[in-house]
Amino acid sequence: MEYVSPEGLRLDGRRPMEMRQIRAEIGAVSKADGSAVFEMGNTKVIAAVYGPREVQNRSQQLSDKALVRCEYNMANFSTGDRMRKPKGDRRSTEISLVIRQTLEECILTHLMPRSQIDIYVQVLQADGGTRSACINAATLALADAGIPMRDLVTSCSAGYLNSTPLLDLNYVEDSAGGPDVTVGILPKLDKVTLLQMDSKLPIDILENVIQLATEGCKAIANYIREILLENTKELEYRRGS
Amino acid sequence: MLHNKSFVKKTKGGKVMKQVREHYLRDDIYCGAPSCTVCDSSGARLSSSASTILVVDTNVVLNQIDLLENSAIDDVVVLSIVLEEVKNKNMSVYNRLRAICSNSNRKFFVFSNEYHRDTYVKEMSGETKNDRNDRAIRVATQWYQKHLGGAVKVLLVTNDKENKRKASEEGICAETVESYVKSLDRPDLLDLLVRPSSEDAEMADVEDHRPSKRKVIYSEHKPMSEITSGLHRGIYHQGKLRVNRYNPFEAYVGSESIGDEIIIYGRSNMNRAFDGDIVAVELLPEDQWQGEKSLSIVGEEDEDEDEDVHLAPNSADDAPRTTPQQGSTGVINAGSSRPSGRIVGIIKRNWHSYCGSLEPMPMPGGSRGVAYALFVSKDRRFPKIRIQTRQLENLLDKRIMVSVDSWDRQSRYPSGHYVRTIGDIGDRDTESEVVLIENDINSRPFSAQVLACLPPLPWSVSSEDLSIPFRQDLRHLRVFSVDPPGCKDIDDALHCYALPNGNFEVGVHIADVTNFVFPGTPLDDEASQRGTSVYLVERRIDMLPKPLTEDVCSLRSDVERLAFSVIWVPSADYWEFIFSKKISTLAFCIWVHTHRFALALFMYVQEMTPEADIISTRYTKSVIKSAAALSYVEAQARMDDSRLMDPVTTDLRNMNSLAKKMRLRRIERGALTLASAEVKFQIDTETHDPLDIGMYQIREANQMVEEFMLAANVSVAQQILKSFPLCSLLRRHPTPTKEMLEPLLRVSAAIGLNLDVSSSKALADSLDLAVGGDPYFNKLIRILATRCMSQAVYFCSGDLSPPEYHHYGLATPLYTHFTSPIRRYADVIVHRLLAASIGISKLPSVFQDRLQLTSIADNLNYRHRNAQMAGRASVELHTLIYFRKRPTDTEARIVKIRSNGFFVFVPKYGIEGPVYLTTRAEKGSGEWYVDEQEQKIKKMDGSFSYSILQTVQIHMEVVEPQPNRPKLQLTLI
Amino acid sequence: MRGIQLQLSQTQKLRLHKALEQLESLSSKVNSDASVTIADSIPVNHEDGVLKGHGTADLDGEVVATLCGVVERVNKLVYVRALRSRYKPEVGDIVIGRVVEVAQKRWRLDINYSQNAYLMLSAMNMPDGVQRRRTALDELNMRCIFEEADVICAEVRGFQHDGLHLQARSKKYGKLSTGQLITVTPYLVKRQKQHFHHLEDYGIDLILGCNGFIWVGEHVEARDDMIEDQVNQSDPQVLSLEEQEKNYTSLETRKYICRAANAVRVLSTLGFIITLEIIKGVIDLSLSANIDIHDMLGSEFCVLVAEKEAERRSSNKKRR
Repeated sequence: MEYVSPEGLRLDGRRPMEMRQIRAEIGAVSKADGSAVFEMGNTKVIAAVYGPREVQNRSQQLSDKALVRCEYNMANFSTGDRMRKPKGDRRSTEISLVIRQTLEECILTHLMPRSQIDIYVQVLQADGGTRSACINAATLALADAGIPMRDLVTSCSAGYLNSTPLLDLNYVEDSAGGPDVTVGILPKLDKVTLLQMDSKLPIDILENVIQLATEGCKAIANYIREILLENTKELEYRRGS
Repeated sequence: MLHNKSFVKKTKGGKVMKQVREHYLRDDIYCGAPSCTVCDSSGARLSSSASTILVVDTNVVLNQIDLLENSAIDDVVVLSIVLEEVKNKNMSVYNRLRAICSNSNRKFFVFSNEYHRDTYVKEMSGETKNDRNDRAIRVATQWYQKHLGGAVKVLLVTNDKENKRKASEEGICAETVESYVKSLDRPDLLDLLVRPSSEDAEMADVEDHRPSKRKVIYSEHKPMSEITSGLHRGIYHQGKLRVNRYNPFEAYVGSESIGDEIIIYGRSNMNRAFDGDIVAVELLPEDQWQGEKSLSIVGEEDEDEDEDVHLAPNSADDAPRTTPQQGSTGVINAGSSRPSGRIVGIIKRNWHSYCGSLEPMPMPGGSRGVAYALFVSKDRRFPKIRIQTRQLENLLDKRIMVSVDSWDRQSRYPSGHYVRTIGDIGDRDTESEVVLIENDINSRPFSAQVLACLPPLPWSVSSEDLSIPFRQDLRHLRVFSVDPPGCKDIDDALHCYALPNGNFEVGVHIADVTNFVFPGTPLDDEASQRGTSVYLVERRIDMLPKPLTEDVCSLRSDVERLAFSVIWVPSADYWEFIFSKKISTLAFCIWVHTHRFALALFMYVQEMTPEADIISTRYTKSVIKSAAALSYVEAQARMDDSRLMDPVTTDLRNMNSLAKKMRLRRIERGALTLASAEVKFQIDTETHDPLDIGMYQIREANQMVEEFMLAANVSVAQQILKSFPLCSLLRRHPTPTKEMLEPLLRVSAAIGLNLDVSSSKALADSLDLAVGGDPYFNKLIRILATRCMSQAVYFCSGDLSPPEYHHYGLATPLYTHFTSPIRRYADVIVHRLLAASIGISKLPSVFQDRLQLTSIADNLNYRHRNAQMAGRASVELHTLIYFRKRPTDTEARIVKIRSNGFFVFVPKYGIEGPVYLTTRAEKGSGEWYVDEQEQKIKKMDGSFSYSILQTVQIHMEVVEPQPNRPKLQLTLI
Repeated sequence: MRGIQLQLSQTQKLRLHKALEQLESLSSKVNSDASVTIADSIPVNHEDGVLKGHGTADLDGEVVATLCGVVERVNKLVYVRALRSRYKPEVGDIVIGRVVEVAQKRWRLDINYSQNAYLMLSAMNMPDGVQRRRTALDELNMRCIFEEADVICAEVRGFQHDGLHLQARSKKYGKLSTGQLITVTPYLVKRQKQHFHHLEDYGIDLILGCNGFIWVGEHVEARDDMIEDQVNQSDPQVLSLEEQEKNYTSLETRKYICRAANAVRVLSTLGFIITLEIIKGVIDLSLSANIDIHDMLGSEFCVLVAEKEAERRSSNKKRR
């Protein structure tokens, strides 16, 4: 299968180093403390954050920091074939864990002891890169909820097909079975908080692919920052004084 | 960069599924014309002086690819939608089109119209996909017209009437291929054109004088839907059609669904299928199965196909297939017959271009006009092809290439078109080229990109090479090579030292090709594609460019060369070496954490004694300086001359005695000594015509070198498999099945010889015992045995389970090819594996992709086989040339009995061919009958009989039954 | 446009957009770099010495925001005032909460803080108004005072070792009934001198809790009476006609309650600051435009309010 044509175009018309169109919207769930929708092309994810709030199960309460919980779910209608998936299957448990660990790392949990932060992420449309989209959506939702964070976390995936590193794989490219590297970074601190890979890659190529994914993360970070700043300004001027 | 978005929805067969795909439209796709002021012209491909730019429609590409491949057609814009459609319809045409587009000499430009903001068209409701694509082509053409302005004429070339009409309505210049080619005024191009089917009527008129041929000859192919459902229900069977190389009316379909091969007899049952097509077969009722028919030499039906004289085949894969024959002739035993079938549909065509010549025919009256001719493929597996030509007089005595276009039910032969002329029939160069083309061998010179990968010439060992820690300096060793005379690509050399304790240190040094051929480079890709060097009688087609083959890699005498050495040493300072090495490999071991055994690698120790037991094996990259490049004859002469006592000769003798012991041990293990009839030509240096022909003589020196190479290969195979159990490239030789050995057993039974085939050891022993009345008898039996075996093949170790790695012929559980990296790509791969396994380099990424590795192994097998076929074909060709001037009487042995004659094998020339006892006219007159039990052919009155392996005197002569069709004829004296 | 999930016609969209644009231009801080997002560095003058406040962190000597919000500087102190977030209690804040649990000597209240707040029985004025030690009997009767899900108004007392404590030592605090609780994000409520308001024209009470909980209810003149009533009432199930009459709220009042509540909702949707003056303005607007209560949540009124607010702010600015 040819994923990159000799003309240097991918199946959907992008070039190897290009991301899909991204769009973010803050405040999609009115009842939540913070919420956001994040789209990467046809991948659409909604995230809602509740908290910090009273710990529901008091035995889990931590006296020195906040408890972060995350629940990832993929809507039945999010993929082409409508499949009834049991809740809490291995894949979603794993992704929940990944998102939680990635975000917990940058939330200043020590500022909110004895409380709990719930992050709910729901995939509305899946077209590859759901993991990254979930993390980006969750970051936005956390920022919207006014939860203090060390830095934003942004994530982007990159793959390697037809001997070309490709940024931001879509579903077709993802299901090609090639290597798929998901990277999450703290853009300001310039640190990697998430690195996952399916399949195998030689180490020197892996470096290139990670580099590419990191570039993608930075681009997303810039976009998210813009969105957040715009949102902050809007809240401020609307409120008036 | 602008990203616009639209959605394309698709539904897939079976389950209806809505698929949403993004489709980005861009504004940075350029037109490819260098004169364009708006676009970035760095990637421009069209010529700046082009007055006309062609935009080709899909149907033009699909049908007229031969025309497009002609360099007269240039300045063509290939739209991505056209590429897409071509890809879906015919992958091979797509690959050819891609090849043209990437050829820098051709001015073909791919315009990604589907991703261009202005040329993308959305499917309108009620519009079929075809219409939409046609519209896309028109829109793109229009865009070009507008974009380039009036300076350049943009011409849409289409054979679709509807498309052409609409284009004209929209103000686009459009023409059919025919009218465009006519406007070029190049009559030779016209031959390349494929006749559209609408012209069939015209052809019918021409053929009107053969009204009987207009009737329906073949049954109709079933529609695809019916075939699919038939396959599901199990009434049809799918498989690849393989036509018998020696009898084009017999074909086999290997079907997985019934686990056996289905035999297809006759053209009408084959129903227009070609060799290599994927077909659907329906089984015939059991009473129509043709099982016990004793195969006669000549073909059936009224066509004059008959057996030619061939080289003696070397393995079961080459030999004509015969159904196992039990019982006597004529008795139909339904239980033992094999399933026969007929083809009901063709799932995938395997049409390509074929080499051959036109069937001789009288020149038609008006010579300038269009003439129809029948083309006969050189490869007899393919039927004759009817072509139309305007240059009949030029083509009659030429070898030409022809493509197949279609095959109607009404026509006996498929129709095709002329592609190109190769040269005169019978001319040695032409025929050699035909051999190359037929065996899919790339004999083109290496491209500039490939040559750019070569090290700067003249090359010599530099101080950097010496300073690399893992490269050992072995220049002090007395290394020498033994090869056939005149060998320029010396890839192996040896050394042998007697050690004070009576042991020997023996080293095999192999040219370090991987030091020059790096993975992923164009050079590597090219070598991987070529797979092997091809040795024809008069020339060699190299796998690697000449400077590498003959100079830089070749281990010539008295020059320093890089090598990859396998050294069998006794212990002593060995441990020191190990520990100094371990430190540097530690870092490597961390990297290959998946291959934990990397550390243990150097603990692998064996003993080596004067009894030729290997004690310890060491692998290292090295620098050597060969002291002598000997030929087999020279080496043999030195060993035999007892007066010579120089060091090299002593080494040779030591090695020879070691090799003999190793050989003995190998034979004890059950290795087969097989034989093949290899011939050698003496070629006139001026004319390149063969001067003499004779069997290749095998000397002790040959066997000595062979023995060490085998040992090296086995050692390396063990080493790489240990390090990389899933991605090693090995070579296996499957154990022959009972059925495969059947012909051998039948022959041996007839002559009263008892062969035990229960194991390779038993077979080897009983072959040793088979000594007949004359000295050649044993060799003949071995040749027959060799023919029953299949060929050894390369494979990826992850694809099979360890018991299947076995090499039957060599009786070793593991084997690979390591010793000839200059001429075999498999060895290059093994070098990389070995280098990685001893920790001096990283494993290239290709080894992580098992599918890719498997496909490389498959390609190597294919290339290897083709190279052998080409070599044999080349020998056959030269045999013919040789006997053209020299009719000869000689001795021959009968190897196969047929109902109207027998096949004889001529030991002196290594050829095999039919001898007819009856002439064609009196075929089946029943004067002779075959005794299957005794493998004899007897005259009805019992006065004469010929039995198998009997010696007969024959006369060999080249005859020309038809002009320009010389063939070698054997007749009984 | 965040928060506004209404079907707007084309003209309404334009009008709203225009009004919001006007608001943007009126805002003094927009053009300054006061707004920051997470991980933005805040320019400070290190020579003067910096006190890093809430929402800031130190990164390699740089002051970095950890929240999205507005940078505020008070002398040496630099902090980020978060906009949307949970309530951050300050001592003395008047808050409204809902009882989550009745526990040992205390009620646990949800006040939109990261933890529940405690209202100790001892931090309450007893219904009888007598200052005395709380007895075990009082503890048993805690449910008679506040039950689960009751809405209560109280004051932030401060942090103790076990969490945030409230107190309700005045007659104006206590249980709230006959009214609506509206929750908005806390940053829309500004801390002011007066959080209890009596809208005499409509006969309703309005309590703007600092935690974003806003109470709109029937005006209660004498709170103490009411509480006494409850205590005196031995069996609340059997109300005499007279008492029913007393608890009856007139339709008109109820309508005003709804109107005021919807006014708060509209402001909350639009993200405008919520003060008595503005709520009054919105109610007046709805009355003068003769808009039904349920239409107040419609798109047209939303646009009207936005326009009105823009007008109001610009006139305020001119006056200044």
